[in-house]
Amino acid sequence: MLHIDAIYIKKIQQSGSLAELFPMLQNAIELEHSTIPPYLTALFSIQPGKSNEARKIIHSIVIEEMMHMTIAANILNAIGGKPQINNPAFVPAYPGPLPMGIGNGLIVGLEKYSLEVVKKVFMEIEEPENPLVLKSAAETEQTYSTIGAFYLAIQKKIEEIAPYDLPGNKAYQVTSSFFDADQLFPIYTKEDAIHAINIIVEQGEGTSTSPVDQDGEIAHYYRFEELVRQRKLIKDDNAPHGYSFSGEPIVFNPSDVYPFFPNTKINMLKKGTEEWNRLNQFNTSYFSLLAGLHTTFNGAPAQLDNTIGIMYDLKLTAEKLGATPFPGNPGFTIGPSFEYIRPNEA
Amino acid sequence: MSYLHAPRLVFTGDFLSDVSTVNNDTAHYNNETFKPDFQKPGQGATNGWWNPEGGAVFDFQNCRIRQLSLPDGTILSHPSQDPLIGQVVMGAEGRPTGKMVDIDPDAQMYSALWCVQVRICTRDNELLLQGDLDTTSFRDIQMRQTDGAKNNGQALGATWTSTLTNVQWGEKANWSPFLGRLRKTTQENKLSVNLNSFGYYYAHNDGRFSLGRILGSIGPYFSNEPVTFAAARRLYGIYQPAGQRSTYFSTSNFLVEYETNSVTVDLGASFPVENSLGAIHLNQRLYLAVSKIPVQFAPDRNNPAYYISQSDVVGIGIVGYASGNDWLMQTGGVVSLNNLPSETMRLLTDHQLLLITMVQGKPDQFLVVAREAIDGQVVRADNFVLRLDCRETQKVKFHAYQWGRPLANALIKTSLQPPTPDTPVGPNNPISVIYGNNFPQDGITFASSVVTAADGTAELQLTGNPIHSPRHYIDGQIYTFDYQLDEVDPAFGTENIVVHLRDEFETIENPVWSDIVSIMTQYGNLYPVMSKYIASFADPVALIEKKDIFIFAFSRPLENTMHMPVTRDLSEGKRQTILNWLHHPVTDDKGTSSHLQAVAKPENPVPENTPLTDNQKKYKEAVRAKNGAVAEFQVIGNLFEN
Repeated sequence: MLHIDAIYIKKIQQSGSLAELFPMLQNAIELEHSTIPPYLTALFSIQPGKSNEARKIIHSIVIEEMMHMTIAANILNAIGGKPQINNPAFVPAYPGPLPMGIGNGLIVGLEKYSLEVVKKVFMEIEEPENPLVLKSAAETEQTYSTIGAFYLAIQKKIEEIAPYDLPGNKAYQVTSSFFDADQLFPIYTKEDAIHAINIIVEQGEGTSTSPVDQDGEIAHYYRFEELVRQRKLIKDDNAPHGYSFSGEPIVFNPSDVYPFFPNTKINMLKKGTEEWNRLNQFNTSYFSLLAGLHTTFNGAPAQLDNTIGIMYDLKLTAEKLGATPFPGNPGFTIGPSFEYIRPNEA
Repeated sequence: MSYLHAPRLVFTGDFLSDVSTVNNDTAHYNNETFKPDFQKPGQGATNGWWNPEGGAVFDFQNCRIRQLSLPDGTILSHPSQDPLIGQVVMGAEGRPTGKMVDIDPDAQMYSALWCVQVRICTRDNELLLQGDLDTTSFRDIQMRQTDGAKNNGQALGATWTSTLTNVQWGEKANWSPFLGRLRKTTQENKLSVNLNSFGYYYAHNDGRFSLGRILGSIGPYFSNEPVTFAAARRLYGIYQPAGQRSTYFSTSNFLVEYETNSVTVDLGASFPVENSLGAIHLNQRLYLAVSKIPVQFAPDRNNPAYYISQSDVVGIGIVGYASGNDWLMQTGGVVSLNNLPSETMRLLTDHQLLLITMVQGKPDQFLVVAREAIDGQVVRADNFVLRLDCRETQKVKFHAYQWGRPLANALIKTSLQPPTPDTPVGPNNPISVIYGNNFPQDGITFASSVVTAADGTAELQLTGNPIHSPRHYIDGQIYTFDYQLDEVDPAFGTENIVVHLRDEFETIENPVWSDIVSIMTQYGNLYPVMSKYIASFADPVALIEKKDIFIFAFSRPLENTMHMPVTRDLSEGKRQTILNWLHHPVTDDKGTSSHLQAVAKPENPVPENTPLTDNQKKYKEAVRAKNGAVAEFQVIGNLFEN
């Protein structure tokens, strides 16, 4: 169960103005982003054309994390803050804890896809406040502060202190044709913000009574659980909460995965080698992506389209890294390192 | 004005060009004979060449501002003189990189940069200046490397000239006095830019696979100047060392400035380099001079060199290059000689510039390494690479000059090259028949000559007529036109206009899969980077699954870096049909009848063994050399040992 340092909840609760929520929403953006490199690393490690079901599931989750990051930035803009994406502090050092000390020391790294990493890391990240027991007995520990609780505290505070029409510049709201308009929408009012936070929480955790959110979409936690159980979660009237992992098998063969060296860093490679250049190209794209997102979230929402192209550049470079043997580490290939390095500093 | 004018900055470093290579082989376009092996790297005809999974990325790497030239001839090369020295030149940020692509496998000498952004930033990544490079194609491909290019595989170099538009000056731009001057000098808020490239690595050596050297110059732009070449005078190499296949110092732009009594030559495009990194091995003293007599010589096998009497030249000065690793990378190879005497300047108004040297045994003579174009005449087409749909008309703009001034009333003749023959399958062409080019000859309507106006420019109109798969498995046809002034300078030859005329294809409003299956399958074959990692293009279900992103990419404008296809070789009708299908995908196996009724494909009017013209032979050889397909590049010890 992921604990969040109670101080953050407290800070939210004690906020007397929207400005005091700015750092909390900045934290939320950073938190949403912090899950993306680990999920993407796992996704990129699945070789082309193989383990397609697993790929689709992780892909669906990482896309939603990107949307959650966008929603958090929209809320910050809506209440008058300025998202800060293009600085070194924005990017966590992997392996390491998630932002805000979330997770009671859970260490998150950049590793190839495996059932173990899904179970021990990804499901931990997405674990709901009260995980539903879906046709299997498991003990759950009651606790009080999760990522969901953090969002709900922000939601409550906005409801409490914000004016109905939120003060941010409406032109800064980011939407995209790649997401449903009823999930990623401009946040102009308090109601919009409340609704948007519900989407983040429910997509991550599900509802307290069902593994699916109000749109009938399976929450991240349970989608990851599908991977671990290697079965699709389907409706099952005989099961508790109406769902069970009794659907189509999700075939996964460990040899379908590139053997990324865990938590690759560029300084593990000799500067000036082809391998170094290729990883540097990856980091250059990542830097460019964050720069583009910063621009997007700071008054140029149309720039989002440009960042989509960079995401493909990242993917393609990572796939090539996956096929590139790691010099001096037999049996491993080079992992995407997601390091914030100015291209001219590398 | 041009990139050769001051204020001018020079930056140098590396470029990354991750071009894809499956599409370098015309036969790979034939879906029926395509094999998965053609997507694997390797040499020879039945594989994907040296970078099958290339993604067409073009970017600047390790590029720094090295020196600045001011109008009075002063050169600044230390940060204490202007803080711009040492700052960084990069590509786009916040959007994908630029792209480098060929227009067609039958037109590979015109590799173009699309959507490249040039950004000059401080080392803290603060923007000083950025601009968008107008699309521009290789010109002046020439022999550069004298060590046989064994490490990298490519001994040729080439030039991209262009204009930066949408120029933005960063908040800190004023911090550099130089940038302030450049901003004041340039017009329309554009800039001229030139990029000389060499030392490209096909080979996985030295950690430099898919990297090459780049020498960049940025100078002021002035209204009405050409976009993709410099309004400059031209030096052509006329010394072909015994046993060599080519000249060196083959083409160089230069500028004569009467206000400042100076001559500026861009030897960055042509200076022979010893290795892929730009080291100079030469120790020969080189001079610039003006010829008092006309020099029309061009070398051939029997006459490799031309000597001129000392009394027939007026010396200008020494080309102050330095042997070793640094000179080109520090100066970009741009050489200025200033404060020239008025007599020299007067001669330069209508006499040829020469690049000369002295060789043993000829005490009273100079060997002419390069000479200016005969009579100082230069004509170049600006937008010389065209993507043309049937029933579409485009205009090509010519600029003619004599001694650097606009040449009015000049007759520019344009002729379509004769058809090239089909190549049947055989020992040297193992995969598929390769169809010839330039037919049907009436595919393009054009005037055979145009005359320049007072400003030295003329426009040639080209109209595409309906054609129907003359090349069977590749869309449309490549038409190559020669253009020339009355006299062709044998040291340079003619230049070309290259047109990809697309097949007639009317947009299908409600297409089914079989209407587009051959286009998509071919695309998937040629670009494994897409078909392997994004979606199998031969599988409609896979495309439907990703249709949002494909609708996004296929609907980007041509000038958007994310435009699909990256080679920009689809006709509007085909592109729109694909989009229509993606919006309403129908996987039926029955094509719409109207498009399945094949229009008869035109016959190649020339028989298989028809000899190529000299220009066509040269082109074919050059393509082989450009692709690293020649057995080996020659090694040259001392260029001037004869």
